[in-house]
Amino acid sequence: MDTVKKRPVYLNLFKIHLPVGGVVSIAHRATGVVLAVLFPLGIYLLQLSLRDPAGFDRATSILSSVSGRITVLLVTWIFAQHFFSGVRHLFMDIDVGVEKAAARRSAWLTWVGSIIIVLLAAVWII
Amino acid sequence: MIRGATGSVGSGLGEWLLQRVTALYIGAFALYLLFRLIAAPVSDYVAWKSWFAAGGIRISFALFVASLLIHSWIGMRSVFMDYVKPGWLRFAVSLLTATGLLLLAVWAADVLIQGGR
Repeated sequence: MDTVKKRPVYLNLFKIHLPVGGVVSIAHRATGVVLAVLFPLGIYLLQLSLRDPAGFDRATSILSSVSGRITVLLVTWIFAQHFFSGVRHLFMDIDVGVEKAAARRSAWLTWVGSIIIVLLAAVWII
Repeated sequence: MIRGATGSVGSGLGEWLLQRVTALYIGAFALYLLFRLIAAPVSDYVAWKSWFAAGGIRISFALFVASLLIHSWIGMRSVFMDYVKPGWLRFAVSLLTATGLLLLAVWAADVLIQGGR
């Protein structure tokens, strides 16, 4: 056990550069946690919109307010990022794109994809 | 229970698979919802309510909610196992998460049933 304890630990965060694949991996977890936390909000809006015509109007006015639109855009971005990094992980499960160069490229592509989606969403709802 | 060399119960393969199966359903249904709402935006309550009340849609929604809850549970648990080190705290946050997700399941079931009336 002593040899295990004496292993050098090097955690200078200003010198360690997490590769893009690592950033995407962490982002997949972070976005997943945020989405799970936002789940009740989704059910609340669904319930409100289905209750009666007044509830439907209330739900649409919440979503179309300025803060509502900003939230929708943020959630869209978070979902898209989680979606694309998830698809990337699924491909890796079946051994597609596991080579270093391809994995780095697909990691960058998840950001490109989620940013394109959020820009399209912005054009759609603003 | 048969325990493996690592002392854990089961191999974790079931959870691994469940996480991927639910991911596929969530992704597919989210894409369906997106394209459906772009193709025919919902304009008023009556249209929204009658679309939602159809049995097929509500069953698809129920599967969607169930997938999201299972996917959240497995995902949150992985995060807790990796980052929450004290055993009692990990137990506490796991219990809190499980309770929260079960309450959400009951709430969502109520919304889905009421939505058919």
